[in-house]
Amino acid sequence: MQQMLQDFFKAVRSHDITISAAESIEASRTAELIGFDDREILKLALSVTLAKSVDEKARFNDCFDEFFTFNSFQQDEESASSASPAKAPANESQPPGQSAEEQVASHYEGKSELVKMVMERNRVALANEMKRAARSVGVTDIWLFTQKGIYTQKILKEMGMQEINQEIAELANTTCPRGKAQAALLRQVRKLLLEEVRSFVEQQLSLYGSGTSKRLREEFLMNTRLSNIERRDFHRMHEIVRRLAKKLSDTHAKKRKQTQRGVLDFRKTMRRNVAYDGVMFETYWKTKNLERPRIVCICDVSGSVSAYARFLLLFLYSLNDVLMQIDSFAFSSHLVDVNDIFKEHPVEQAIELALKEAGGGSTDYGQMLRDLKQNRIENSDNLRNIDHRSTVIILGDARNNYGEPRLDVMKLIYQRAKRVIWLNPEPQISWNTGDSVIGKYRPFCHLVKEANTIKQLEGLVDNILKHSLAG
Amino acid sequence: MKELHDQRFTSVAEIEREFSNAGYICNREIATAIYIAFNLHKPILVEGPAGVGKTELAKTTASILDVPLIRLQCYEGLDESKALYEWKYGKQLLYTQLLKDKLNELLGTTHSLAEAMGKLRQQDDLFFSEEFLEPRPLFKALHEERGCVLLVDEIDKSDHEFEAFLLEVLSDFQVSIPEIGTIEARVKPIVFLTSNNNREMSDALKRRCLHLSIPYPEPELERRILESRVPGLSERLREHLVSFVHQVRALDLKKLPSISETIDWARVLVLMHAESLEPKLVQETLNTILKFQDDIEAVNEQLDALIADSEQPMAKTGG
Repeated sequence: MQQMLQDFFKAVRSHDITISAAESIEASRTAELIGFDDREILKLALSVTLAKSVDEKARFNDCFDEFFTFNSFQQDEESASSASPAKAPANESQPPGQSAEEQVASHYEGKSELVKMVMERNRVALANEMKRAARSVGVTDIWLFTQKGIYTQKILKEMGMQEINQEIAELANTTCPRGKAQAALLRQVRKLLLEEVRSFVEQQLSLYGSGTSKRLREEFLMNTRLSNIERRDFHRMHEIVRRLAKKLSDTHAKKRKQTQRGVLDFRKTMRRNVAYDGVMFETYWKTKNLERPRIVCICDVSGSVSAYARFLLLFLYSLNDVLMQIDSFAFSSHLVDVNDIFKEHPVEQAIELALKEAGGGSTDYGQMLRDLKQNRIENSDNLRNIDHRSTVIILGDARNNYGEPRLDVMKLIYQRAKRVIWLNPEPQISWNTGDSVIGKYRPFCHLVKEANTIKQLEGLVDNILKHSLAG
Repeated sequence: MKELHDQRFTSVAEIEREFSNAGYICNREIATAIYIAFNLHKPILVEGPAGVGKTELAKTTASILDVPLIRLQCYEGLDESKALYEWKYGKQLLYTQLLKDKLNELLGTTHSLAEAMGKLRQQDDLFFSEEFLEPRPLFKALHEERGCVLLVDEIDKSDHEFEAFLLEVLSDFQVSIPEIGTIEARVKPIVFLTSNNNREMSDALKRRCLHLSIPYPEPELERRILESRVPGLSERLREHLVSFVHQVRALDLKKLPSISETIDWARVLVLMHAESLEPKLVQETLNTILKFQDDIEAVNEQLDALIADSEQPMAKTGG
């Protein structure tokens, strides 16, 4: 029973639900408490212990149903004589000329236990044998469809297919009709077993492999250069980016707002109570005020970065979704405030709109900085201006079409803001080549980094948030 | 005196029965979660929209087990001095002043400073004893003689720090107080944590808890709940009402009506001696289930269609 639960945990894990060791112990205890009699309650009980969100619960239920359809409990009990679901298809797939076959079967003279089992139609024993073989070759490790063949072969071998092959080979040269009939029968058996095991392995793959291949794909996407990602993966990227952004905000967002009530401030209490002749009636508490940092994020969507623009905007959108105090802009030349677009439209639409509003033109960083100065440094509404609490993030390649870089504004921003961070989607090797002026901006940034995979972006933003929120 | 764990729930069905006797109609999942929590001493993290009976679940559990319910309402900035214990600083200060004479007397016989300090040291634990300790909900819950049901309400509103602090309580049912030592639970309480999903709880917390999510109920369940909570309601009206509410939940609204609102509405209808869902009556009482003017307007626009649909047999509108 324990082994089966272990297999089940493995299947659950492959469905993207993390189970820690402690949880698996907990789940085992739960299963023990509940017992295996009432499947419905067992399912609920395990779901309560293992799946820790609504999402996970849905996935868990699928996995449970799939797993226990062909691992029904009666099967493990020896007393069970009813046909198990796993072998039900075997029944159907048996050839129509069964009765003739059975006659021959009674004459089967070989020594293979396996053939005898098939002949006796002992399905429970066969299923158990198959499972035993599967376990010993570790079929639960399967995670790619290309492995189907090899696992099928391994299981068959473990079950004793070689003996059958050998007997077929021995019988091949015989001329006696009875020997031929035996050989035909064995071939039939072999085919049946092959089909049976193959379908079993397929089920195992869908059970243990589904999560893994998805994970692989995501892993791949996260580490691929943004410029190389295809449009059709956009949807999946959005999911990944949204999750990353959520994670980032979960770790950081809460820190922004709290005035913590601390411990007794003794010095202040004494001082305040001097008036009462040192009798301390009034208490004074140490408090900790955390400031609210702001992030100003500016995203280049011009022609030179068109390959990245979509994903940078996607990233920006996701950050907007989860961070409260973020001020987002997009630009090619003139700066466009995209806060409202992001707020009002769903992601696909918002990105299209932002691209339409800001994108396409030739890059002019000078104009962008001029606009930024006007909007966020000399704004009459002081609260919107960049100040010592602001972190400025610029996503762009700094290819300025040989225009005026307006370093004076950049310097001003550098002096005003808490941190200025430039994330460049170009590989570092092509920095400062052609019309790239990243080198000129560099002195006025606290950090200049190459960022062209989602993974890098995540790491950087995590870092940024940590710094900007810590102080 | 009877203790919390003197009682035993022997099966999930028994819990369902007990709860329904106490007026809380719960589904299998909820009953299973309570069964496990009770027998394996695990806290339950209950998630779901507001008003589906998360808090009520804890209250009912307490009343069935006949133990006190201790409630800790979480909010931003809640810290251990509010949740666990606090020294009564004012009292301590006042006592030092009032006992000045006594202290003079005590120390008057000493001849050196060191001696006086020594004498004082023999007494100073007095000021950090339980006499001066202000117990807060968590401390009370651990100290309860017969065990209790501890309800940590709206844990998602608290800060990360507090969540981390809770971990010790949840896994070992003990807390450490620097001045006194570790305090263990006399009887392990049954702990409910509720969350409205304002933020994701940390993995560490989730790992220590059973996870129960209570969604809006199925029509069948909601009818049973109404039957138990508002007995005066006619069966026909009950059907219509549940069906109507379920349709409203399918709309795109700011705040969807949950069970507590349905119950309120049913009570209002009983009070007004309503026999069926009259458009005018519905319009007037809509504010019991919808809490935003925008929502009320949105529903008002489609009122006739909704009422007409709800008169249909339930099979079509289920879910």
